[in-house]
Amino acid sequence: MKLLTHNLLSSHVPGLRPGGGFPLRIELGHPSELPPEPIPNFEADEEFLRRVHHVLLEVEVLEGSLQCPDSGRRFPISKGVPNLLLTEDDA
Amino acid sequence: GMAETEAAGDAGLGPAAAQEGAELAAVIGATVPTGFEQTAAEEVQEKLGSASRISRDRGKIYFEVPARSLPEVHRLRSVDNLFVVVQEFKDYQFKENKEDALKDLEDLVKKLPWTNPLKVWELNNSLKKKKTKRKKHNLQNPASREKLSDGGEEGGADQNNTNDQEDCAQNPVAVEPTSGQDAENPQGVTSRNGVEEEEDNDQSDVKAEAQASSESGTKAGDGQAGEGEVKVLRFRVTCNRAGDKHSFTSNEAARDFGGAVQEHFQWKADMTNFDVEVLLNIHNNEVVVGIALTEESLHRRNITHFGPTTLRSTLAYGMLRLCDPQPTDIIVDPMCGTGAIPIEGAAEWPHCYHIAGDNSPQAVKRAANNICSLLRKNESKDSSTALGVPLDIIQWDICNLPLRTGSVDIVVTDMPFGKRIGSKKKNWDLYPACLMEMGRICTPGTGRAVLLTQDKKCFAKALSRVGHIWRRAQTVWVNVGGLHAAVYLLRRTWERAEERRSFW
Repeated sequence: MKLLTHNLLSSHVPGLRPGGGFPLRIELGHPSELPPEPIPNFEADEEFLRRVHHVLLEVEVLEGSLQCPDSGRRFPISKGVPNLLLTEDDA
Repeated sequence: GMAETEAAGDAGLGPAAAQEGAELAAVIGATVPTGFEQTAAEEVQEKLGSASRISRDRGKIYFEVPARSLPEVHRLRSVDNLFVVVQEFKDYQFKENKEDALKDLEDLVKKLPWTNPLKVWELNNSLKKKKTKRKKHNLQNPASREKLSDGGEEGGADQNNTNDQEDCAQNPVAVEPTSGQDAENPQGVTSRNGVEEEEDNDQSDVKAEAQASSESGTKAGDGQAGEGEVKVLRFRVTCNRAGDKHSFTSNEAARDFGGAVQEHFQWKADMTNFDVEVLLNIHNNEVVVGIALTEESLHRRNITHFGPTTLRSTLAYGMLRLCDPQPTDIIVDPMCGTGAIPIEGAAEWPHCYHIAGDNSPQAVKRAANNICSLLRKNESKDSSTALGVPLDIIQWDICNLPLRTGSVDIVVTDMPFGKRIGSKKKNWDLYPACLMEMGRICTPGTGRAVLLTQDKKCFAKALSRVGHIWRRAQTVWVNVGGLHAAVYLLRRTWERAEERRSFW
């Protein structure tokens, strides 16, 4: 799973308040470095943009999970593919 | 010693002929998925700069290019098969009497301008040799070939147009048809252009491909006989005939035309191990004689990794083109199966971002494998583009997508057909739910969807219930696995979807 995809994902566990499913918290097997807050005037900073591009499109989460911010429900990521199917228990 | 073919007007064939061939203008015929002729013509205009003629014989377009552009022609993504035109007759008058009509066809052979098309064919051969090596490597990939439960079309339904009679045959000089297509169609007739589709052809293609790889050492087309020798070519004739006023069958035409070709060139007839495949396409009074530039089994992209029920990549390409993807568009296939559409999308529109999803674990796994091989293919090209294919896969439920409202620009998918999903009754509920959810994730106003379905009645009904979200913009009638299907281009209205769970 790439970070750009993660930007589009939202938990759909039933009964959440609007917006309660976003953003999903990425939990990895090991710590990783993500970029800090965007710097002012980042659009003009080519070096920064390159790093953002790299992180969004060229870094993959292979194993880990995504946690719904409101409900705490965890969705596994295995071999780079997140499984966001709900089970009967979620309903 | 040397056995030169002395057929009138026919130059010797070999590398020199290939050189000359490059300078020629070739009229190329291309078979494309029925319904997407216009799309294919646009691609030809865009990539080759040539205008196309769309034939009345569905699923074919014709265009002229310099023969040296053949590599680009082979890279067209909307084209299934290619041939070089020897001659076209717009209004051929067939004699009413069968013997006379067939005699005319026989007599035609020596009058046709074979020389230049054969040079083009020769040039094409030299391109094919490079390709065959790569293909063999792909064939050894241990991708499994079993059917998926949520794959694409199923064939076998009777769809023959009752007005036309269509049949196809290869000249029966040698023993059996190579790909077994006749055997698979219960009526004993089959057609090889875009009209009849994939289920049967796929299985025979897989067989033929396996054959090709194991026989590659002995395949006639591969080796030259040696310096200074001109070996005798092997050929077969394939005849496609459609129309209800002909006094002969395609079998008979192929047989007699083939006999005359053999006489004229002193080539050897061979159904399975042929160098030259002569095409005789008869559609009412339109007759086109051509020489094949692709072998059906080799021209199918990604076939080793996909099961026999996968959507054709040319159809996937046509569907994607229909939604006119713009750079930075987010394109989602929420029922991706083995991933034919997103993979085609990522390959051809790398400046968009593609997300594939399915609820089936097998589909997801297969799609992931296909993406890996796409990555491996990319690595062999220039390294600057090798990093990060703009494509991701997620396991999800189409009726409850874990995507933020209004976050997606394009939804493109092959909707499940009645048989696959279990029953047509289930589609009644599934289709509206799908359309609602697809409408929710799609950007109001600028978003669009391209949806392929065979269940047109159900779709129309579902669409009528979501008129506040989707407007029908265009319909393309296509043929998928022998079934009449439709591709709908929908535009997202400006109305915002109910904010159920996310905000931006």
